[in-house]
Amino acid sequence: MEFQINFAHLHLLLNHIPVIGTIIALGLFLISFLGKNDGLRRSSLIIFAGVALLTIPTFVSGFGAQANIMGRPGVSDVLMARHEGAAMVSFWFMEITGALAVAGLWQVYRSSRPARWNVTAILLLSVVTVALMARSGNTGGDIRHPEVWDGKEAPVAEGTIGSILHVFEPTPDKFIHAMVFSKWETAFLMDLHFFGLALIVGTVGALDLRILGFAKQLPIAPLHKFVPWALLGLGINVTTGMLVLIGMPVYYTFDAALWLKILALMLLGLNAAALYLTGTFSGIEQVKAGEDATISAKLLAGSSLCLWFAVIILGRYIQSFQETIK
Amino acid sequence: MGVPIFLNTLEESGLSTWIRETESPFGFYFILLFHNIGLALAVGASILIGLRLLGVAPDLPLAPLKKFFAILWTGAWISAASGLFLLIAYPTKALTNPVFYIKLALIGTGVWIMLRIEKLVFDDTSAGQEARLATGKPLAARAFVVWIAAVTAGRLLAYTFKYLVYGRPG
Repeated sequence: MEFQINFAHLHLLLNHIPVIGTIIALGLFLISFLGKNDGLRRSSLIIFAGVALLTIPTFVSGFGAQANIMGRPGVSDVLMARHEGAAMVSFWFMEITGALAVAGLWQVYRSSRPARWNVTAILLLSVVTVALMARSGNTGGDIRHPEVWDGKEAPVAEGTIGSILHVFEPTPDKFIHAMVFSKWETAFLMDLHFFGLALIVGTVGALDLRILGFAKQLPIAPLHKFVPWALLGLGINVTTGMLVLIGMPVYYTFDAALWLKILALMLLGLNAAALYLTGTFSGIEQVKAGEDATISAKLLAGSSLCLWFAVIILGRYIQSFQETIK
Repeated sequence: MGVPIFLNTLEESGLSTWIRETESPFGFYFILLFHNIGLALAVGASILIGLRLLGVAPDLPLAPLKKFFAILWTGAWISAASGLFLLIAYPTKALTNPVFYIKLALIGTGVWIMLRIEKLVFDDTSAGQEARLATGKPLAARAFVVWIAAVTAGRLLAYTFKYLVYGRPG
C-alpha cells in the first residue's frame, strides 16, 4: 500500500492557520476585556483550542516538507534548521495556550466564566505565542522566498528580536537526539501514552456509552464531571506522542497510519465542537436515571466512540505502515 | 541455565511461525491491537470505577456503575486471549524474561483487587453506601498503583528481552 502526499503543499496550506489563528484569537480575547464581553472571550478560547489542534498537522507536515525540498537549488539548509527550531518552540507554546483555553472553557461551562489565573495565563502565553508564531512564519517564508532576502545569500543574520528569540530556540538535531538518547525514555513516554489513552477510554468512553443507552440508570450530568480526566489524558498523549515523533520525524511523517490518526483526532475535535457548540449537550445534560438522550446526541456519541477506536487502531498500526507515503 | 528446548519446538509450530511471519493483516499486529484494546477497556473501566470510589463525582450513583465491570472483564478476557497468541508467537522472548513473570503477577493482583471491589462495594449491598465507599477507597488506590505497574511491566517487555527467538539474542 502506498500513498502520495506532497508535504510541501500540505505545509503551505496549513501553516497560515497557527499564525493568523492566534492573532484573531488574541484580538478577540483582548477586545473581550472591553465591556467584559464573556461571549467574545468564550469564542476566543474556542479559537485558541481549535488552532492548537490544527497546529499538530501543521507542525508534522513541516518535517515532510523539509524532506521534500532538502537539497534543491535555492533552498538553504541553514534557514530550514532555523525555521525548524523556531517551530519547535512556537508549537509547544501553542499547545500550552490551547490546553489553558480548554481549561478555561471547562471553567466557563462550570461557573460561567474562566478563573482569573486562567485568564492571566492565557493573556501572557498567547502574546508570546503570537510573537513566536510570527517568528516561525517569517523564518519559514525566508526558506523559499529569496525575493525578501536583503543580499544574494540566505539571511542568517538576525535582527534584535530575532537574536533574542534565537537564543531560546533549540538546534533541531540536538533536540531530536535529546528525544531518543535512551530507549528507556521512549519506553517511559509510550507507557504514559497508554495511560493517557486509558484515561480517555474510561471517562469519555463511559459518557459516550451512557448517551447511547448503556448503564441507563446513570444520570448524565455527574458522569460528565469525569471529562477533565479525559482532557488530562489528551494532554498527556499529545505531549508524549509529539515528543516521540520529534525524536524520529522521518519514521513517523511518512507513515499513512499516523496521518489517518491525526485526521481522526481532527474529526474528534469537530465532533466535540458539534456536541458542545450546537446545544446538543446542553439538551441532554439534565437527562436523569433511566431517561433517553436525544438522537443527535446519540449520533455524536457513536461517532466519538468510533473515532476513538480508530485512533487506537491506527496508533497500533503505525509500526507496520512505515514509508507508506511517498 | 540453558533455554529449554520446548520453546524452540513451540516456536517452530505452524501457528507460532504464521503469527510471526505472515504478511496477512490478521497476523502479529492484529493480535497486538486486540491486546491493546482489551487492556484499554480493562484499565479504562478500572479508572472510571476507581476515580468514583476515590471521590470524583460524588453525586454519581454507585449501583449502575456495576455495569462497567462487564466491560472491564470483557477487556481482560480479550487481553488474556490475545496475550496467549502473542506468547505462542514469541515464547522464548517472553518466558526467558523475568519482567514477564512480574507482569503476570501484577495482572493477577490487579484482577484480584477489582474482584474484591466488585464483591465488597457493588455486590454486597447489606452495608450502606458510605461504608462501602470507605471499603472501596483504599482498594481503588491500590488498584491504580498495581495497574500502573502492570502496564509499565508490559511496556518494558519490548525493551528488556534477552532472546527475540530461540538461539537469537535480542
